[in-house]
Amino acid sequence: MSVPPGDGVNPLLDGLRIEPTPEPTALVIFGASGDLTRRKLLPALYKLAQAQRLPARFAIVGVARSPMTDDQFRQHFHDSLKEFSGLQKPDEVSTSLARAMGYVQGEMDDPALYRNLTAKLSEMGSPDGVLFYLATPPGVYGPAVEQLGAAGLTTPATPEGWRRVIVEKPFGTDLESARELNRVLHARLDESQIFRIDHYLGKETVQNLLVFRFANGMFEPVWNRRYIDHVQITAAETVGVERRANYYEGAGALRDMVQNHLMQVLAMIAMEPPIAFSAENVRDRKHDVLASIQPILEGRDDNVVRAQYEAGWVSGAEVPAYRADEGVNPASTTETYVALRLQLDSWRWAGVPFYLRTGKRLPKRTTEIAIQFRRPPLHIFKRISPTAIASNLLIVNVQPDEGISVRFEAKLPGSRMQLAPVMMNFRYGSAFGVPVPEAYETLLLDAMLGDPTLFARHDFVEASWALITPIHEAWKASGAKTVPSYEAGEWGPREADAMMAADNRRWRTL
Amino acid sequence: MTARQEKPVERLLPAGRDVTFAEIEVTLARLVRDGRRKRGPARALTATVIAIGNPERLVAAADALEQLGETGGVRAILISEGEHTSPVARVTENAIAISGLSPRYLNNAVAALRLSSLPSVVWWRGGSIEALDGLANLADRLVLDIEHPDAVWARADTLFDRTALTDLRWTRLTRWRSAVAHLFDLPQVRAAAAGLRSLSIDTTDVFAARLFAGWLTARLRWSSSVAIDIRVVKGDIATPLARVTAAGDGLGLSLGVRSGTSCLEASVDGAEATARIVPLGDGTLASLIGEELGVRTRDLAFEQALVAAREISA
Repeated sequence: MSVPPGDGVNPLLDGLRIEPTPEPTALVIFGASGDLTRRKLLPALYKLAQAQRLPARFAIVGVARSPMTDDQFRQHFHDSLKEFSGLQKPDEVSTSLARAMGYVQGEMDDPALYRNLTAKLSEMGSPDGVLFYLATPPGVYGPAVEQLGAAGLTTPATPEGWRRVIVEKPFGTDLESARELNRVLHARLDESQIFRIDHYLGKETVQNLLVFRFANGMFEPVWNRRYIDHVQITAAETVGVERRANYYEGAGALRDMVQNHLMQVLAMIAMEPPIAFSAENVRDRKHDVLASIQPILEGRDDNVVRAQYEAGWVSGAEVPAYRADEGVNPASTTETYVALRLQLDSWRWAGVPFYLRTGKRLPKRTTEIAIQFRRPPLHIFKRISPTAIASNLLIVNVQPDEGISVRFEAKLPGSRMQLAPVMMNFRYGSAFGVPVPEAYETLLLDAMLGDPTLFARHDFVEASWALITPIHEAWKASGAKTVPSYEAGEWGPREADAMMAADNRRWRTL
Repeated sequence: MTARQEKPVERLLPAGRDVTFAEIEVTLARLVRDGRRKRGPARALTATVIAIGNPERLVAAADALEQLGETGGVRAILISEGEHTSPVARVTENAIAISGLSPRYLNNAVAALRLSSLPSVVWWRGGSIEALDGLANLADRLVLDIEHPDAVWARADTLFDRTALTDLRWTRLTRWRSAVAHLFDLPQVRAAAAGLRSLSIDTTDVFAARLFAGWLTARLRWSSSVAIDIRVVKGDIATPLARVTAAGDGLGLSLGVRSGTSCLEASVDGAEATARIVPLGDGTLASLIGEELGVRTRDLAFEQALVAAREISA
């Protein structure tokens, strides 16, 4: 019998309909007893197992301060699936996955934890591909990576092995802390080993932006200052700070949403075409976008609006003001809403404003990108049509209903020449008949496969903080005891409307 | 319209509206417009699926395509062959059924009704092979789904260059192929693979087993020295394989349906840590055809497997 082709290469992978799975992997989750693990990571792993996307040899090791046995961690896994995946009782897949689970308890800065982790990985017969997921408070990132390095866990034992680290947001709290964190990580890890996660990038629609722009010949020619009037990016939440008051008080909307998620989305919309769809090419072009953004506080003093929600009515119930939320300082000036006007110094976008807004306790949960095109140069129907022409609009719905819509003018049926805007809708959920994967499924798998395209590179993170940090410094320097407010359940403060009105524009009503 | 003609289309689309062939598009447009008034904006359409077979086999196809239409944007066309040149048609918002059409005009009907500029998938549940040849020029993808495929398999080489050919048996093997491929991710399995000497398959569908064995033969470049043993066992044809074992010098692989479950267990003998349990999926016609809609390229792995399968006897 002949030897299978391609020594060292799996000869059966070619033509598989289920995408290739990662090499044998051990996933080590720091913060295994936490909210993110329970809500997102464990359900995502179950979905990946169901879809046959996990490797043939796969182990999960939970690490946290809470005392737990291996069996208790397995039960934690089953409880998570019951609550967040609707799996009322363990099935064959979850039971099989649970068998490959172990748990190590300890303090994140204690070398003993890492000795125990090494022993646990060895005991579980784990492979030399190890992915460390830091689902912990950000203060732990540095000590954990430092200890991983000191214990030799960041270096594979074999040439085929690999070690990678996923770092959750927030990545720093300002430019200086982000640089310091990068320095700490780079002391123990190569940049290629670091995967800074931003779950927005795992969303199908955000990935589709690249396909939409660069796999279609009809959009890119009009994707510039000549045809586009302005862009609005909105990330609206109905929830308040929930149980995250402690974190949110120190973060606010600008750090929590703009520095990471909205900047990533902006970069995908505004980037130049990469020369190839490779991680570094894509990330280079995204970084160029941030580098081209004018300093936000220079030129005009109304480029940023911050606000805080007052008591109001959202999702069918009365809700208290932010300052009355549990865990929030009654005199807090933390912003729960922020709106920004950004200008890009680039050949493509000169003079086209990008408006970003995000807030909590807004009327509905939605994230969208709206690209508003210029009106036709001449309204030839104005004498016969009583209606004004609405601008063409291209809307990318990021959540909850992922898809793309286009608004254009059409003639109303009848003998009169009346115009009306109509929408054409494409929805992922209904067009392809297959479920859209959760962002964490996509990103966990990409990290295991070693594909960093959808993860933030160090220079992008620092460039983003370089834009945001002066705003925080200005707010701090102002010494303001109060910030503008909006009623919970409304679309933000009047100051944000005024920012748009100053440009003769309006926020889209969502 | 005769009573003999009416019955099949009624069974396929009970809630449909009878029309002549020439009225199909205008009636569809009206139904879509009326439906939108009740249900809101239209969905983006992604493909046309054309199911062809005898009326009995088309009933199951109609159910599957209706399910598919609820979750995906497809236009379904169901055609049974007969002797009519002016056939009866029945339409619903997302589906068209045509009964008793002469095979000579099958091509013409599909050419007239397929959505332009979008992929067309022909789901072949039986009919005249001459018509199949003609459809291969129109279809982007041709999915065979017949009980005895020998005659079509024999002329597959003439179809490969004209359309992306596959067989629904191959779709039913997706999870099995993935499971065994994942075992080959393990370096020790790859290292010992050259020593495999025998393959044994318990199956409810000999053709599926031949395809599976053909795939391994083609991908692993097996020579005739590997003994292939296919045994027929009782069971549901929707789960075509019951057990697969491969053995040789220093390596044993086994895959089997876990008793009382719809899960597949794949393992390397003597290596407990490598056992994998994966769901086989629901195996319904709707999900199988849904999977085929997700494949937009020629399936070279299938073509190689089929060529090898033709040489394997049960």
